[in-house]
Amino acid sequence: MTNNKSDLIIAIFLLCFSGIMINDASNIRDLGFEGMKADAWPRVVLWMLVVMSSVMLGKSYFQFKTENHKDNSTFKINFSKFKNALLCFGMFIFFLSTLDYLGMLLGGIVFVFGLLTLLGGFSMKLGIKHLSISVLSIGFMWMVFTFGLRVMLPEGEILRVW
Amino acid sequence: MFDIILQAGASVLLDPLTLGLMAIGTLAGLLAGAIPGFTIAMGVILTLPFTFGMSPIQGLATMMGVFVGGLSGGLMSGMLTGIPGTPSSVATTFDGFPMVRAGKPGLALGLGLWSSFFGGMISAVILVALAPQLAFLGLEFGPWDYFSLIIFALTITVSLSGDNMVKGLIAGLLGLFAACVGEDEINGVARFAFGSDYIRQGFAFLPVLIGLFAFSQLLSDVEDSRKAKAPLMAKTADPVRVEHRKAIALVIRNWINLFRSSFIGIFTGILPAAGGSISNILAYDQAKKAAKNRDEFGKGAVDGIIAPESANNATAGGALIMMMALGIPGDIVTAVMLGALMIHNIIPGPSFIQDEPMLAYGVFIAFFAAHFFMVGLQAFSLRLFLLVTKIPMYVLASVILAYCAIGVFALHNITFDIWVMFGFGVIGYFMRKLGFPLAPMILGVVLGKLAELNIARAIGTSDDYFLFLTRPWSLFFLLMAIVSILFPFYQNASKDSLFSKIYVPISMMVLSFPLFLMGSPVRMIIAAILLLTGSFLIYKRTVSFKTI
Repeated sequence: MTNNKSDLIIAIFLLCFSGIMINDASNIRDLGFEGMKADAWPRVVLWMLVVMSSVMLGKSYFQFKTENHKDNSTFKINFSKFKNALLCFGMFIFFLSTLDYLGMLLGGIVFVFGLLTLLGGFSMKLGIKHLSISVLSIGFMWMVFTFGLRVMLPEGEILRVW
Repeated sequence: MFDIILQAGASVLLDPLTLGLMAIGTLAGLLAGAIPGFTIAMGVILTLPFTFGMSPIQGLATMMGVFVGGLSGGLMSGMLTGIPGTPSSVATTFDGFPMVRAGKPGLALGLGLWSSFFGGMISAVILVALAPQLAFLGLEFGPWDYFSLIIFALTITVSLSGDNMVKGLIAGLLGLFAACVGEDEINGVARFAFGSDYIRQGFAFLPVLIGLFAFSQLLSDVEDSRKAKAPLMAKTADPVRVEHRKAIALVIRNWINLFRSSFIGIFTGILPAAGGSISNILAYDQAKKAAKNRDEFGKGAVDGIIAPESANNATAGGALIMMMALGIPGDIVTAVMLGALMIHNIIPGPSFIQDEPMLAYGVFIAFFAAHFFMVGLQAFSLRLFLLVTKIPMYVLASVILAYCAIGVFALHNITFDIWVMFGFGVIGYFMRKLGFPLAPMILGVVLGKLAELNIARAIGTSDDYFLFLTRPWSLFFLLMAIVSILFPFYQNASKDSLFSKIYVPISMMVLSFPLFLMGSPVRMIIAAILLLTGSFLIYKRTVSFKTI
């Protein structure tokens, strides 16, 4: 994906986003007090965003049009480039979704072990290494926050049952 | 005044726990600064969750340690391997690495270390002397002036943060918008909550910051599978014995360079958004221009190490002056510090030093003390650094991602904050990939509420919108904002163009106008100097332009 193509898409996305938010700004309640209304400042910011996104759209469109004569390649996103980032997103969503059941201690260990294995590969030796790292690091942090800083980290249903 | 300084000093220097926390913070900062891929801001952000349970002075002293340690940590990897640990130590590698390769690693490290120390000390003195005066000046500001100052802070961040100004402005606006979400501070009305009680509370500052900055950085660090699996640094170095005495003697002998570079650092720090990454290169450039032996630069010149290292530590003092006196962060790190203060229910501003003198002077003293810790812990941190560099990035990133989640949860004990961090992490990652600078967005998030509050106060006080243009300070900051917006065009303009010739003098002349309006004798003298210098330059340059 060339820069101008991605800029074009982002500019359109930003315009849609601004449009939705400007529309939602009309739902902000007016309490009838004097002075600046609650929707005034966000509207100013969003309209400025519309202007800047339009500038970006125009700029990238004209550059894209000029480039398009030379470059007729189809629109492609190289997902392999984002593989590791997508793995991190996936693992993090899994971690957050299971936090109520696994809790911060178990969930954290599963998250770190899973991510280490996905990013670093798997073999018996690596598996043991990754497991030790995840248990030691999360165990240490859990102890620091629970006993040192007195933070009540989510216990999780599994540990609560035990 | 003096008794307050003594009491504040005692609260920092005589409390073993505070000293211990500062030492840990400085060590963490030295390591964070030394590891390529990690930044000082990231170090400070990750320290923040640990400070929730501390008193404000302990928390700030710890973060001050990370800040000062981080500024000096970058020199270790830069000198020993040629890869700068942080952007603020880029220029240090120009002469530090050649000196190490020439067989003088102990001297190179010593010069870097003591230049950082003396640069920090000079800026600390200026900080103590200038911050209260600037805060006094800040008491003149009305909401119009404050709003214009915030606009200036945002525009200068945009103009200094990258090649694409439109993307910088969009990032800043997105930051301002993120600060609008949730209940507004004036009327208590929900905005953009879409029916969610969690969103109605607004996005907490810390999850947004950790997401945008740390989370997205870690994802970028593990993007390349091959690099992520390799140890942090391919090149390794041996432990070195630092030559302290020789280095101190050389730094003192080159005191003109030390002072010039430190003042460049302080000035750069005072400018909103211009941090150590700019000051170290500026100071190096000036040292090279002023040196008699210019040919030695790039081959291991002593002045080439003193200049960037003293400048980047002095920048910290400059950035703190702005934060403590006016509540405007000088760079991302001070933006995080500002957030840390807000978490402890302290809002810096012109009256901060008067209202909270113990805390304010405690911060100044912590800044002083952190430099001593930095010198004392450098040798130990060097050994630790050599150990840490053997760890692959994917291991560090996985563990730190989990730590981010735990740290963010600790803020309000709600899982929603972790989702916010994740959401902003994804946004930050794609913004990085698409070439949007993050600094304006972070500043937008930090200053958004303040901007809205001040514009609301201004409109509530008077419906005369022209006050933004007729009040001298407000006009001054708005003109500064225009000057900063035009700065990238000046940088890109060819040297012979008319614009490049008139930009500086016209800016000087224009800025003299609000200074004249202020009326005080000192400001009128400054205005007259600006006007005369600008007129002289414009005359000289247009004459030479016509000749061409």
